Amino acid sequence: MAKVMVVDDAAFMRLRACKVLQDNGHEVVQAENGADAVRQYAEHRPDAVLMDITMPEMDGLAALKEIKKFDPAARVAMVTAMGQQAIVMEALRAGAKDFVLKPFQPDRVLGALQKLLAA
Amino acid sequence: MRAEFINPFLQAATEVLESELGSAPQRGSIGLQRSAYTSDEVTAVVAVTGEVAGMVMFAMTENTARAMVSKMMGQDFPEFDALAQSGIAEIGNVITGRAAVLLSEAGFPSDLAPPMLLVGRNTLISTLDVQRLVIPIETEMGKIEVQVALKVSGAAARRAA
Repeated sequence: MAKVMVVDDAAFMRLRACKVLQDNGHEVVQAENGADAVRQYAEHRPDAVLMDITMPEMDGLAALKEIKKFDPAARVAMVTAMGQQAIVMEALRAGAKDFVLKPFQPDRVLGALQKLLAA
Repeated sequence: MRAEFINPFLQAATEVLESELGSAPQRGSIGLQRSAYTSDEVTAVVAVTGEVAGMVMFAMTENTARAMVSKMMGQDFPEFDALAQSGIAEIGNVITGRAAVLLSEAGFPSDLAPPMLLVGRNTLISTLDVQRLVIPIETEMGKIEVQVALKVSGAAARRAA
């Protein structure tokens, strides 16, 4: 069982991911934008982060960079509908360990989490 | 409306809806419309910016919207509440995002604005001089009409000329 932070501005997507993670025995922390994620990461120190990219206030790439500054060992996977190569490359350079493409597929999310926790 | 805009949206909508709803949707006859769009009960709206710009709308009845989010979340939504609205907006966002990736691969990189939701029938939305590509899609939960009103930016049009 791991503590996982789910970051997405869409409440529906957060709750859906939470449901799948909780059903598989994980503890979940929710954040609704990048700035909220940075704050909550410092407070909860989750084992892994599933981070949406396009969000208000602070997007997922900026939040990833802030979290990696605070904790270089942070294990973050980006979750997005936009899979352009430029975004993928920037996220990987910034320290993201995996990429999960929407639409939401429970097996893919759990697989990404397993990969993060093994890293 | 450029013909090469059809397939990215058709492919994206088919892939995303099949993945989310668990069954393959059926496409109806594609058409082009210039007159104002009269809204259905629920319409998710996603604005597109970049080499192609405009908006994409996903229209459906409230029953279809509730049935879709119920299937996606695995729980019943008797009301079309804020959580259900978030789910429908996200479907529009994900389909448009997938289509944007395909458009980018075709040489038209673009970005998306956060999705919006229009709730209520019979509002007129004019896309002015931009024609709307209308793609009706039948799912097991009811019909979704994908409306694509995009035009190529000046720079992209000049490059193509």
